[in-house]
Amino acid sequence: MASAVDAAFRVEGDTWHSLSPKLITARRLILSLFAVAFLVVAAVMAIAGAPMWMAGLVAVGGLLIEVIGWPWIGRRVRSWGYAERADDLVVGSGIWFRRIVVVPYGRLQLVDVKAGPIDRAFGLVSVQLHTAAATTDAAIPGLTAETAGDLRDRLAARGEQRSAGL
Amino acid sequence: MTEKRHVHPITPVVKVSTYLPALVLVLLFTLGQPLLGEPYGIVVIIGGLVLLIAVALGYEFLSYRRLAFWFDDDGDLRVQSGVVFQQERRLQLSRLQTVDINRPLVARVFGFAALRIEVAGAGDSRADLQYLTEQEAGDLRNEILARSAGLRHDAGEAPEEPLLVVPTKDLLVSLLLRAVTVFLVLLTVFVAVSSILTTGWTGLFTVFLGGVPLAIVFTEFAQLYNFTVAQSPDGLRLRHGLLQTQARTIPPGRVCAVEFVEPLFWRRKGWVRLYVTVAGLTQSDDEAGTESVLLPVAPREVAENLFARVMPGVDAGAVELSRPVSAVKRRSPIQWRHIAAGTDARVAVCTRGRVTRRRQVVDHARVQSVRLTQGPWERPLGLATVHLDLPPGRVTAYWPHFGLEQAAELTHTELGRMAVARASDRSIRWMQGPDGA
Repeated sequence: MASAVDAAFRVEGDTWHSLSPKLITARRLILSLFAVAFLVVAAVMAIAGAPMWMAGLVAVGGLLIEVIGWPWIGRRVRSWGYAERADDLVVGSGIWFRRIVVVPYGRLQLVDVKAGPIDRAFGLVSVQLHTAAATTDAAIPGLTAETAGDLRDRLAARGEQRSAGL
Repeated sequence: MTEKRHVHPITPVVKVSTYLPALVLVLLFTLGQPLLGEPYGIVVIIGGLVLLIAVALGYEFLSYRRLAFWFDDDGDLRVQSGVVFQQERRLQLSRLQTVDINRPLVARVFGFAALRIEVAGAGDSRADLQYLTEQEAGDLRNEILARSAGLRHDAGEAPEEPLLVVPTKDLLVSLLLRAVTVFLVLLTVFVAVSSILTTGWTGLFTVFLGGVPLAIVFTEFAQLYNFTVAQSPDGLRLRHGLLQTQARTIPPGRVCAVEFVEPLFWRRKGWVRLYVTVAGLTQSDDEAGTESVLLPVAPREVAENLFARVMPGVDAGAVELSRPVSAVKRRSPIQWRHIAAGTDARVAVCTRGRVTRRRQVVDHARVQSVRLTQGPWERPLGLATVHLDLPPGRVTAYWPHFGLEQAAELTHTELGRMAVARASDRSIRWMQGPDGA
């Protein structure tokens, strides 16, 4: 949101939607599972008689993942956003590599809605847009199932209306 | 619905003879050698070979029996295939991209050809019909092209007007005059010398078996040999190949983008190579990437003429170009002078590259989406890159490292032009004219 690149696409009347804050929780849970896995490995190593410094290194690694990843996930999820404009959908994402994809509705070939097990537990799904170009790469993760379903239907309807040949 | 047709009955034999010799050799070397010492070893080997051939022939015969094609009531091509996993594929001819006739070496010896039909679509959207006699393949191609153009299917072959042949000498010289080739020669020498030093002269043998890097250049030469361009009402017809002849037809109005490439050493000769991206043409197994070559090498003037045929009415030279803000010098100190962007009503133009100069001309009506990116090296300089997303192919088009305001302006212009171009696009069933589309 804060990026200067985004200003380029701020047109009057656009409503810029953010992702569900629950996605932050879901992603942090996955991160913590990773960190815990590291700690478990460290504990097993210590019990199995590996040198203490080695087990310590693994444990510190796990903690580092947690400490660095925690705020990073927050920023990354908050950096994501999308806006439905009159003729196209705009999706922005990324912190270091900021990118904004503009997909005209007429170019949409298919809209995938999918969810992994953890996302599902939080009631989240992600929407992936496909055009004939493999490089389009426009995905909106972490929407509530209802929002995602509505979005997909709207996109499909507009795509149908404005569909163009290749 | 027309009646079901089959490929030629000789197909199983041709197919088996394309892969079996290699398979047999490998098996002989790995399993055969230890067997030879055994009593009755030779009998086992011969028995095994006969069995292998019988199984291969049997399988190919079944798949030949299964492979059938016909035109359905909508005039679209249906292809039924597969022995274990059977499938029937409908190729919507209004979305036809190309019809290629290929003649692999073995098939060519027998006088047969394979037909490859591509339609636009994500993923696997092609059908291979192998093998037909050369006559049948030509007739079928004409029928498919005529049907897709909305003509009667018995319209016959569209008359062809030869345009140009790339001289073998030019092709050879142009391939040698590339930095890549110089690098490959050095690499080849390095590999050869180092293997001789480590394992003696037998090392050289291994190098040749493993394939020399320079072979890539020979492959490219063999594939682009005798490159012929002809104009027919179906589109531009390209033919090339030394060992395996390929024939491609590029229907008009299916061209997404054309790229002009000028390597450093070609500039004195004024040579250009053209690449083309055609919508829906999936990138396939060809190693040297020759499938996207529109013209391997030619003087600039010839290239411009050919360009005028694939993108009629476009004057890419007249497009007004804008240059990035001066901060670009710090992002791209070498090529900054050659970075430029421009659009007119029909096309977007991108230029870049200092050593190898590249210019992409992109049809607005074929751009799928626009992407604005800013990396960590661009941010402090206030730069951003605009990408024009195209269907898969050789040409990638982007306007690198423009000032933020410029990039935003370019994006807005491009989106506007894309919308207008899409609305007026009528390239489907191109021969029927605007009313029938």
